[in-house]
Amino acid sequence: MAILPIILSAIIFFGSLILIFGEKINRSIVAIAGAVLMIGVGKVFGFYSEEAAVEAIDFNTLGLLLGMMILVAMLEPTGFFEYLAVLAARASKGKPLRLFILLGIVTTVLAMFLDNVTTVVIIAPVTILISEIIGVSPLPYLMAEAILANTGGVATLIGDPPNVLIGSAAGFSFNDFLVYSLPIVLFSWVGAMFLLQYLFKKELSKRPRRSKAVMRLNPAETLNQPDTARRILIVLGGAILFFFFHHLLHIEPSLVALGAASIALLWVQPDLQEILKKVEWSVLLFFGSLFIMVGGLEHSGALETFVGVFQSGASMSPVLFGILVIWVVAALSAVVDNVPITIALIPIIQGLGNSGVDVDPLWWALAFGAGFGGNGTIIGATANIIVASLSEKTREPITSALWIKRGLPVMLVTCTIASILYAIIYPWF
Amino acid sequence: MNITSCMKRHVVSIKSNTTINEAAAIFVKKHIGLLPVVDKDDKPIGVIGMRDLLKLELPDFVNFVADVDFVHDFGAVEDTRPSARNLNKSVKSLMRPVITIEEDCGLLRAYALMLQQNLHDIPVVSKEGKLIGIASRVDVGVAILSSWEKVE
Repeated sequence: MAILPIILSAIIFFGSLILIFGEKINRSIVAIAGAVLMIGVGKVFGFYSEEAAVEAIDFNTLGLLLGMMILVAMLEPTGFFEYLAVLAARASKGKPLRLFILLGIVTTVLAMFLDNVTTVVIIAPVTILISEIIGVSPLPYLMAEAILANTGGVATLIGDPPNVLIGSAAGFSFNDFLVYSLPIVLFSWVGAMFLLQYLFKKELSKRPRRSKAVMRLNPAETLNQPDTARRILIVLGGAILFFFFHHLLHIEPSLVALGAASIALLWVQPDLQEILKKVEWSVLLFFGSLFIMVGGLEHSGALETFVGVFQSGASMSPVLFGILVIWVVAALSAVVDNVPITIALIPIIQGLGNSGVDVDPLWWALAFGAGFGGNGTIIGATANIIVASLSEKTREPITSALWIKRGLPVMLVTCTIASILYAIIYPWF
Repeated sequence: MNITSCMKRHVVSIKSNTTINEAAAIFVKKHIGLLPVVDKDDKPIGVIGMRDLLKLELPDFVNFVADVDFVHDFGAVEDTRPSARNLNKSVKSLMRPVITIEEDCGLLRAYALMLQQNLHDIPVVSKEGKLIGIASRVDVGVAILSSWEKVE
């Protein structure tokens, strides 16, 4: 195998990753440029082509993300998220600990089926409202929401972009996630919840000055388009039902999501321009471009070289290797975006699989590491950045030091719980 | 007709070392909505409006939640007061850049400027830049409308 294509493709890929992680230039712009460069250089040196690049794009991932983005974009303006938050607030009767748990549950459940970022973007402002009217600091609630959304998202195929990627690459169905990921996430989530309550003990034990004010929040008035909300929820419910059976019916999750999106669009007939504006095209372009770059690595033979390196690691005890993957990926995800990490590791795990290693457990290790690692720092996950930048515009900003004090312990505990359960469940993976 | 025909010549103004609390007392006593901040030569260097002070008390969520209709009781927010430490700061932290008009400014120009810049009161300065008056939307508007009486 020629050495030059390997070196060139590796330089383009890792150069782009460094720029992406440097965050000086928009990550999607870097990725698009990197993808184009990879194809150009690949053509000159004869290891890559336009056709091969198109083949490298995982349209299943992109379709699933697009379909869910359209559904969320339609659900967002109906006020449904606010409605749930207000219900939680009323049910808590303004008692901080109850409010903390209920808002955490609402956020987690939404994050399990919808995009974490959208969930947090909508729940966080209502959280600030609720805490201000009862007269407590919003910080514990905001941080817990981001952390619990990141944690809960790992439980399902559609909960988190890394899961979408892993599910598509490994061929895991929606139910596979419910069987293998959900139980581990459930234990980790409970662990995270208890730990957060302990870490915010002081704030949560303070008596609110006006807890009764929550009872005068009117949930009905938050639903500004109840009819639209009802229709989208019916479609979403139908989609989730289909997700349970998609592998039996031999349909890809992307078809379920895009099908649901098109039914919702037909039924509601919203202003399409408005909906499309809310779809995160830059994220889709980012994913597509990374796929093209990784395809270049694959075609140049660079991936095979990396796989060789990892193979020596895989020769250790497989359980230990899996736990190592959880922790290494978690550590990386705490400081950089987990999407490029996942996209880069997918072909390596696939390569290990081709060389005869049982990789199913490794996929799950990757999912846990990528998901739980994001809780460690303020920049570890987009949801963290969202609540932090929102809180910056309030009287009590979340600092990165505070995040390390509260979030890092959660990351360590959830990764520990996941590692222990991983070792116990390993024979069944 | 120009702005001098309708402006108020007695302007209440403050210096930039005035504290927020002192400014609040002036708003209350004089029942006004805008205080020009002037330097030692009486030249305006900024303004502070009643709404800039009220912002200190407004809850944060008002900036994030577009429609607060469903919140029927602002609860603890209703009886929060800014801290004494905040109130003893000088007005500099709340001061906004000033938009002025010169004394020879026509009424319609003055009105259009207030409309576009969303100003309720506008300080008037002399050719030398000294603060000589202040006009409200009502002052300017009444002056314009009163000219309609002469229309035949």
